[in-house]
Amino acid sequence: MSPVPGSGRVEQLAQAVAERVVSIVMDAIDIDALLERIDVDALVSRVDVDGVVNRVDVDKLIDRVDVEKIIERVDVEKIIERVDIDSLMEKTELGTIIARSTSGVASEVLDVIRAQGVGLDDFFARWASRILRRTPTDLPLGPPTLVETVPARPELSSGSA
Amino acid sequence: MATAVVEPVEGRQGHYAGAVSRLVAFGADVGASWGLFTLGAAALAFTIQLASGTKFSLSNHQIASLVAAVIWEFIYFTYQWTLSGKTIGMAVLGIRVVKTDGSPIGARQAVIRTLTLPLSIIVFGLGFLGILTNRRRYAWHDHFAKTAVVYSWDARAARLRWLARQDTPTPT
Repeated sequence: MSPVPGSGRVEQLAQAVAERVVSIVMDAIDIDALLERIDVDALVSRVDVDGVVNRVDVDKLIDRVDVEKIIERVDVEKIIERVDIDSLMEKTELGTIIARSTSGVASEVLDVIRAQGVGLDDFFARWASRILRRTPTDLPLGPPTLVETVPARPELSSGSA
Repeated sequence: MATAVVEPVEGRQGHYAGAVSRLVAFGADVGASWGLFTLGAAALAFTIQLASGTKFSLSNHQIASLVAAVIWEFIYFTYQWTLSGKTIGMAVLGIRVVKTDGSPIGARQAVIRTLTLPLSIIVFGLGFLGILTNRRRYAWHDHFAKTAVVYSWDARAARLRWLARQDTPTPT
């Protein structure tokens, strides 16, 4: 109870008057016109965004985010269905890269197999020549039309100019 | 696991091919031809079963399957040698058959070579010994068909490829 007698009624009256005045004032104000007069750009330019950002505790914010719940709500299959893999492959030239690397690997394997074969061929040919007592350099290298015949170098005689 | 790096040998194109390359190629051809024959037999059995409704298997007809296998082997080797001078196995190993003078072989040589190839095998494989002992690495069937087997792969290009791979920086 108020210490001054009759003050309660005055307060009630004041409250009622205030509410009525505010109501009348609010009705009288044209909010749209007021908003139009506000220069939002100027207002925004006065805001210190860096300061605001600095005051935000990002870690705390992240802690409050339930990532698992977000992931559960994402329909990954639907997203994948919407991805045009072919177009992506064309853009990234992934197909060319895969083809190039595959052919590269195949060619490398083939080279290794053949090189191993030639190495072993030489090994056995050397042993055969040793057993048969023949000089490997005297043996024909291949059919005449396939093996390049190196023309003999003209020997420089000591007496020539 | 450490892998041995094999540096390809240089400048062998047109040289007489050695015993290991030839025998490995022959082994690969035996495998490839038998694989294709088995596939063909399975396809034939399936087709007959589909058309007539009766179960058919070539293995139940031993003489017929033997004749079919012999004909197939003849076609396999003759056709490929006539076409390009090399079979699947030979292509993998980088060797090919040529006439003794180095020119491409024809159908006649391919046929003679295919028909005389079993001779080299039947006599305990002695026919292949010539690859080691003969100066031109002729096997018996090479003598009969007047053919030679040479390396057909460009070892020099292989070496350049190999060197290029060595220079390629590995992503970190």
